[in-house]
Amino acid sequence: MQEGVKSNHIISLLEDRPLGRLSESELATVKAHVAQCAGCLRAYRASEVSTLLLKEHVAREFEPSHFFATRVLARVREQQAAKEGWAFARLWRATGALVSSMAASVAVLAVLTLVIPSESGTQQAAGSVAGLYSVEEVLAQESFQESELTDAQVFNALYGSPGDSEDSDGIPR
Amino acid sequence: MFRFAGRYLKQRELVEEAAQEVFLKAFTELDKYEGRGSLEGWLTRITTNTCLNMLRSSRRRPELTVSDLTQDENTWLESKMLDTANERHQSNERSLVAADLAGRVLDTLSADDRLVLTLIDGEEATVNDVVELTGWSQSKVKVQAFRARRRMRQAVEKLLAGKDETQ
Repeated sequence: MQEGVKSNHIISLLEDRPLGRLSESELATVKAHVAQCAGCLRAYRASEVSTLLLKEHVAREFEPSHFFATRVLARVREQQAAKEGWAFARLWRATGALVSSMAASVAVLAVLTLVIPSESGTQQAAGSVAGLYSVEEVLAQESFQESELTDAQVFNALYGSPGDSEDSDGIPR
Repeated sequence: MFRFAGRYLKQRELVEEAAQEVFLKAFTELDKYEGRGSLEGWLTRITTNTCLNMLRSSRRRPELTVSDLTQDENTWLESKMLDTANERHQSNERSLVAADLAGRVLDTLSADDRLVLTLIDGEEATVNDVVELTGWSQSKVKVQAFRARRRMRQAVEKLLAGKDETQ
């Protein structure tokens, strides 16, 4: 027997289970009690009405409208398109990183190829121009040692070998 | 799915919205279905969770009083007060009135209360059925049902008392 019935009030019994699940004896006890207790009678009547309301509530059927399937399919397509768009964006971001790293590599290579050799070329050119006028530098470039130089070697270094730059008369120009 | 969503949600538009959501979820998460239970059970669980989330996000009515009732709802309640509570009313029209009134009373309850009352008291589901559908513990379902039943009863009792006063 339930505690609610033991204490002569049936409210907790009404709340413990739906009315339809009370046994015959419990229902008889409830009915006997509410015949004498106004508070429990109100609760019992409210429980009965609640049960009826809930039964009517779940009995109502809804049918999908005519365009329901079309709407669902449209949303599925939208979702798929959004998913594909997102996948493309992710691919694009990954490709973008690859492209930018490649561009950076090309830029570094271009700097190495164009700027640095031209600087060393400029230095070489400057050295060769100066060589026309500075005997010491020319001699240093040609790795001559001053003590070993003869006059002929100096002339050769400055004006080239006699065979290259002399006219037929052997006079350097 | 439609029928199931219709038990929790009152308006057709909301039922359609819920059913759409369920279809989309089922479509996108079909790979998560492991085939351990029935597909119907899996869809029912998705429907329950979707409807529960929708109920939780919807605004709750603070209280329903007799003055909020329509004429038809008043008439229906009066007929119940004339000691005809056990009579199953026949006409469809009256059933619709009762269903509307039920929806209005349920609107005053929390989403969890609505769910558990609809399933156990309305659908005659067992506690274990609700455990399986919601993932709640057995004791939570029992306590929730007990309290929900009390709140529903109190709300109806208040309406009946209001009717008594106006008569």
